[in-house]
Amino acid sequence: MRVDVQHVFKSFPHNGESIEVLQDINLTVDEGEFVCLVGPSGCGKSTIIHLIAGLEQPTDGQILVNSQPVIGPDLSRVVVFQDSALFPWLTVLGNVEFGLRMAGVQKLKRRDRAVEYLKLVHLSKFIQAFPHQLSGGMKQRVAIARALALQPAILLMDEPFAALDAQTRAVLQNELLEIWELARPTILFVTHNVREATGLGDRVYVISSRPGRIRDVQTVTLPRPRHSDDPALQAHQHKILGLLGEEVEKVLREELGETVHFPEAQHPTPPDRALGMHI
Amino acid sequence: MKPKRGLQPVSRWWRRLFPPGYTFLKPQALVLCYVLWLATSQVFPAWPSPNHVVGLLWSNFKDPVFQQALLGSVRRMVIGYALVILLGITGGVVLGRIPLVDQVLGSLAVAIHAIPGAAWVPLAIIWFGMTERAVIFTILLGAAGIVVVSTDTGIREVPPLIQRAARTLGARGLRYFWFVVVPAAIPKMVEGLRLAWAFGWRALMAGELLTSVNGLGQLLNRVAKAQQLDQLLALMLLIAGIGVTVDGLVFKRMEHEVRVRWGLA
Repeated sequence: MRVDVQHVFKSFPHNGESIEVLQDINLTVDEGEFVCLVGPSGCGKSTIIHLIAGLEQPTDGQILVNSQPVIGPDLSRVVVFQDSALFPWLTVLGNVEFGLRMAGVQKLKRRDRAVEYLKLVHLSKFIQAFPHQLSGGMKQRVAIARALALQPAILLMDEPFAALDAQTRAVLQNELLEIWELARPTILFVTHNVREATGLGDRVYVISSRPGRIRDVQTVTLPRPRHSDDPALQAHQHKILGLLGEEVEKVLREELGETVHFPEAQHPTPPDRALGMHI
Repeated sequence: MKPKRGLQPVSRWWRRLFPPGYTFLKPQALVLCYVLWLATSQVFPAWPSPNHVVGLLWSNFKDPVFQQALLGSVRRMVIGYALVILLGITGGVVLGRIPLVDQVLGSLAVAIHAIPGAAWVPLAIIWFGMTERAVIFTILLGAAGIVVVSTDTGIREVPPLIQRAARTLGARGLRYFWFVVVPAAIPKMVEGLRLAWAFGWRALMAGELLTSVNGLGQLLNRVAKAQQLDQLLALMLLIAGIGVTVDGLVFKRMEHEVRVRWGLA
């Protein structure tokens, strides 16, 4: 399925005022494409995911999925959230079965399907465990299996690996790519990590903050798996970091006031060091 | 270089026994209480010794009058608490689900919850006379309010992330309520049920004390009038013991289990 976000504006009421979170967002995700959104914290990336998921309605503009306007949540568009959002009272199996159960799939059939997807994320040994017994990485695996079990055409991922340590994140990124190669769902992946975005996406949208606007689109044609020391990949990363550096500066100025001064043309995260691990 | 002995702070015997940050274990604390009670009873002759009181309590269990009173209290508590669960949770669900009802009756539930159990006894006597029903009514009104309020809160305060996840996974209507809202509210409900046990137990004693229905509360009244301090202490010890034991063995454990599983502990 193809996603079209057309001239979307979104405002939220806040202390009696209307705060504009998204301003004239235009983006497309083609069928089977892996698209990343990268931007600083608070730029409205999650709101874009919520809008496409049908959890919220745009203030203006429209969102089309296969040319049909989105009016509410649908099983063809499933979200993987940053904090896994597992149901703590259900076992791992119960969580993965949840969507199928809501869809009225028979008990044995949904069990088989759930186990199949738990195998895919290498958690078949933990089907009877409860979420509180799992590590952060394992919880995200369950959340991914729970979404995939519904065999959605569109997978919306809202900073799914942001809370994980670097090693776990790298492993899960590779597994996500393998799964994507296998089933070819359309993926929209939100992150604040430039290296993650350029390592995964066919295209990377750069979002500015307050209000969120699209600053740039980078098309990354390099074959996967991509290596972070590839100069072509680094060129993309530097370009994005340059744009985001200005953004981060802007955000810090707003948050901390005028007392913060940056030397000219030097953004807070030098590209040769952290390379935007955590913008 | 060894520090000179003379310069070290004088180490006192109690500092060695109880170094800073020392915590008493449960049995140690109990023994300490016992010793304190024993010591005071040696100083004041009118104050019965713990051995005597515990012995008296033990012999009470063989007394048919006492047995009847204990059984009566237990029966009323079981019936009363069952009604508290039933009506409290039902009321809480209705309030949590229907905002209009919540606006009108929500504050009423809070108001009922604010009235101590004992304050319901006069009304209970007017409506039901000096009967067992009056006592059960007292338990119900003394304890159901907190269950209504906590169930209501639990149902209205499903974490937004859980709500969003459930909606994207296709949960709607009655299924959403049954498979998401109810389990999400369970920690709050259990919290309310635990408090309701404590409130209900107090209300039971107040009810029996004032209605002279055959029970532990009424026995309290009788021994107090007969100036039997040792019997009074034995009964109070039992009342405290039952309250603490049921809370510890049932409710505290249940709450802990739920909090661990729901990731709140």
